[in-house]
Amino acid sequence: MQKTLKKYFLVFTLPTLIAFSLAFVIPFILGVYLSFCKFTTVDNATFNGIQNYINAFSSTSGFISSLGFTVKFVVVAIVTINVFAFCLALLLTKKIKGTNVFRTVFFMPNLIGGIVLGYTWQQMLNAVLLHYEKTLISSPTFGYWGLVLLMNWQMIGYMMIIYIAGLQNVPTDLLEAAKIDGASRSQTLFKVTIPMVMPSITICTFLTLSNSFKLYDQNLALTAGAPSHKTEMVALNIVNSFYGKAGYEGVGQAKALMFFIVVGAVGLLQLVFTRKQEVDQ
Amino acid sequence: MKKKLISTLLCVSMVATMLVGCGGGSEEADTSGETTTEETEIETEEAGDDAAAEESTEEGDAAASAEGGKVYYLNFKPEADETWQAIAAEYTELTGTEVKVVTAASGSYEETLKSEIAKTDAPTLFQINGPVGYQSWKDYCLDLKDTDFYSWLLDPTLAIEGEDGGVYGIPYVVEGYGIIYNNAIMDKYFALEGAKAASMDEVNNFAKLKEVVEDMQARKDELGIDGVFASTSLLPGEDWRWQTHLANLPVYYELKDKNATDVDALDFTYAENFKNIFDLYINNSCTAPGLLTSKDVTSSMAEFALGQVAMVQNGNWGWGQISGVDGNTVAETDVKFLPIYTGVEGEESQGLCTGTENFFCVNSQANEADQAATIAFLEWLYSSEEGKAHVTNDLGFIAPFNTFEDDEKPTDPLAQEVLRYMEDSSKTSVSWNFTIFPSQQFKDDFGAALGEYCNGSMTWEDVVNTVKTRWAEEKAAVAAAE
Amino acid sequence: MASKKSKQKMSAGQWAIFAFLCVLVVVFLYPIAFIFINSFKGKFFISNDPFSLPDGETFVGIDNYINGLTKTGFLGAIGWSFFITIISVALIVFFTSMTAYYITRVKGKLTNGIYFMFAFSMVVPFQMVMFTMVSLADKLKLNNPIGMCFLYLGFGAGLAVFMFSGFVKSIPLEIEEAAMIDGCNPLQNYFGVVFPILKPTAITVAILQAMWVWNDYLLPYLVIGLSTNYKTIPVVVQMLVGSNGNKDMGAMMAMLVLAIVPIVIFYLSCQKYIIEGVVAGAVKG
Repeated sequence: MQKTLKKYFLVFTLPTLIAFSLAFVIPFILGVYLSFCKFTTVDNATFNGIQNYINAFSSTSGFISSLGFTVKFVVVAIVTINVFAFCLALLLTKKIKGTNVFRTVFFMPNLIGGIVLGYTWQQMLNAVLLHYEKTLISSPTFGYWGLVLLMNWQMIGYMMIIYIAGLQNVPTDLLEAAKIDGASRSQTLFKVTIPMVMPSITICTFLTLSNSFKLYDQNLALTAGAPSHKTEMVALNIVNSFYGKAGYEGVGQAKALMFFIVVGAVGLLQLVFTRKQEVDQ
Repeated sequence: MKKKLISTLLCVSMVATMLVGCGGGSEEADTSGETTTEETEIETEEAGDDAAAEESTEEGDAAASAEGGKVYYLNFKPEADETWQAIAAEYTELTGTEVKVVTAASGSYEETLKSEIAKTDAPTLFQINGPVGYQSWKDYCLDLKDTDFYSWLLDPTLAIEGEDGGVYGIPYVVEGYGIIYNNAIMDKYFALEGAKAASMDEVNNFAKLKEVVEDMQARKDELGIDGVFASTSLLPGEDWRWQTHLANLPVYYELKDKNATDVDALDFTYAENFKNIFDLYINNSCTAPGLLTSKDVTSSMAEFALGQVAMVQNGNWGWGQISGVDGNTVAETDVKFLPIYTGVEGEESQGLCTGTENFFCVNSQANEADQAATIAFLEWLYSSEEGKAHVTNDLGFIAPFNTFEDDEKPTDPLAQEVLRYMEDSSKTSVSWNFTIFPSQQFKDDFGAALGEYCNGSMTWEDVVNTVKTRWAEEKAAVAAAE
Repeated sequence: MASKKSKQKMSAGQWAIFAFLCVLVVVFLYPIAFIFINSFKGKFFISNDPFSLPDGETFVGIDNYINGLTKTGFLGAIGWSFFITIISVALIVFFTSMTAYYITRVKGKLTNGIYFMFAFSMVVPFQMVMFTMVSLADKLKLNNPIGMCFLYLGFGAGLAVFMFSGFVKSIPLEIEEAAMIDGCNPLQNYFGVVFPILKPTAITVAILQAMWVWNDYLLPYLVIGLSTNYKTIPVVVQMLVGSNGNKDMGAMMAMLVLAIVPIVIFYLSCQKYIIEGVVAGAVKG
């Protein structure tokens, strides 16, 4: 069968491969090359070695500080989102009335796009801060917690759904056995339930990690980096280098490559970790 | 065997349908492409006819060589977007030339231009803000020395010249800005007992202005206003009145002292003067300083229009934003300009800040037909009766060209005020020096620092330092990029 | 199932949880309610008194909606958003499932390499290929809605191929072999036998991709951007708010509401598929 199918290579793969090459493969390779060039458009690139990388690390480019802000945000976002989502999932598997309605409502924000969501929250938070004669961009602290709040609002429902699926797979006889053995509630939770939903936890951590790390739309809509780039995340910093300043396209490309390496490394670690988990089970 | 044949046929036909499906798609795209070209052909034919008809009258030659060309203008002024769209539509109707106008969001013109100009369908007409802008965009600026448009310029030295002597940017408007005040509210104040001045004529320096403003703020309830000054809009992208326009004054005086036209390092010697007026704005306003970073220009112009405040710093382009507000309570005759006093010695003779940061450039990398069409469009706009009417009445531009007669000046009160100050020989206009500000980045950072100062999270000293270091850094970066 | 549960008596503890969840629902819905309420207020009243309900003076009816729609071409944006999302998702599901099927069934260095490339593309941040892709798209005249759909096929291919491949692996070969013995060639076999089995995965992929394409901002902004009439909803919302010269808070609120409404309707009508799809997508991806 393979033999016959083999001849159909082009029929089965050509359209996808063309689109994939144009949208990803060629731009990626070109991008790696351009990160070592000075250019304003793709056509006028001249090789300039690692100058772009040196410039990317200069204090004025803001790359390092945006990376710092991003990491600070990601850590808090992962913890808060997962803790809240897990608690909600626990509550929603306790046979409460209207579970479906609750689930529907909590999940809904996840479908609203980052731009729309960002402006919705900007309006909300500004309205609250108005009371204290402040605005969202009065201080980077507001922008930071605003972003954490917004991401929690958006992602809790999503993670909750995954945790619910995980919790429903925990065998009831196991829980009952624990009860018979006289385990307290918290013991059951930490010794039985949590180990059993470990795969869900891994998935959710990974999803929150990659979503928060690459965050752009929400950041742009909520504060756009204000005040003074202090709430600027890496993705926004890179886009600003590309389009904000003449002559900095190369620096933007270099930053993008480094960003990719960081994201790739984190993803790889995660993959290794997941594999190990799967083996353990 | 037969079965196999049938199935093969079936599959072939399926593949064929799929291929046709795909082919159909591209064909469709092709035909749609064709129809558009056909349309343009028809349009240009009409344009040709029109041009032929017009040949006997005026700019026939320009229109003829522009045959088939398109105009794409990237507009800088969001407040004039609707007007430009209307002008574009009218011109297309008149000549058949396609004119597309796209307006960049305020504060993001450079960014938009950068992403647009890299496209194959790039703007044919764009603008630069002066010599600094020319340095970034010189690869895209066409030499306009031989155009009629340039020859009409009242003062050819205003144009941007390249090192080779070519003319690459032509100013298309002269503007002025200062403190706009509502004369009715001022008269009300002067009539109060114990007013610190008897008329606006006495307010001719910072000390007097401060005295009057602070007294007015204290008695705002008597005057029926929420504050003297409208909100000092410091929302990012909305802060150009301060980081650009107001910042022009200290730079103007510093350059004057140094007898220079540009500096690599700004000493910001007049920082205190900037602080004088800036503090006056934010502390005597209808909005608490901490909230200013949420305010935009539109709302501060509306505050003025609705009579909630007595003063707002802006330029004559702001008239539309005053007159266009629903429930506008300000009478046209009550809208006046006051120069921005900052406490500099001898400022009694200071006039408004007048100049231009708007220079038209034609994209040198566009094809020749598009360039010709663009120049024809500009020449129509600035020399034909209809075009000139749009420029003076709808755009409200004070046009620096000899094609405009004395009676073809904008009639709105702010433009009238600008003209009055310009003609008053006892006043010295402050020129626009912010065209040498190193970059948009510098201005944005300056604006952000002012915002932080208002929020109390930055001291004035830090603001001054930010300005100095960012100026030097950005000037160096621009020099390095060349 | 749910109805059965609700017939059971709830304990005091469960009632407490129930009450807590109700409070949480209000918290979750509040931001949406907030913009909805403000979308009926005059633009100058919003910033002064954001939490009050609109009344006589501040209530402006649907003025904001009319203003927003006429100023921004929002209706057109809804149309283009639908167009691009539907065509892109259709292209992605149709073509990537075929590709995934082929590279899973035909083992070899080439197909392995291709599979690796697809998986790899999921890790790469968009900013890495942003600038070069936009230039390429512009040169190839892909800066139109059809071109966008094509680009989405390329960008969506990574995740879609990955998910389809995972599922194809689990389809027993016997079914296909039987079809082959009946004389079907691979295409017939694929469309007649394999694709129907792939349907659940196809729905998952379609939902995940639709959510992404519908909400995507940067790609349409950079590729078709400001200069055309093909703006999508996120681009228009950003423009409306970003275009500072004539900022209109009321219109902005109204447009935010209009941007949210189609999603909510879509969600409420296909809730089951969406939630299942998201779970399946997460577990596999």
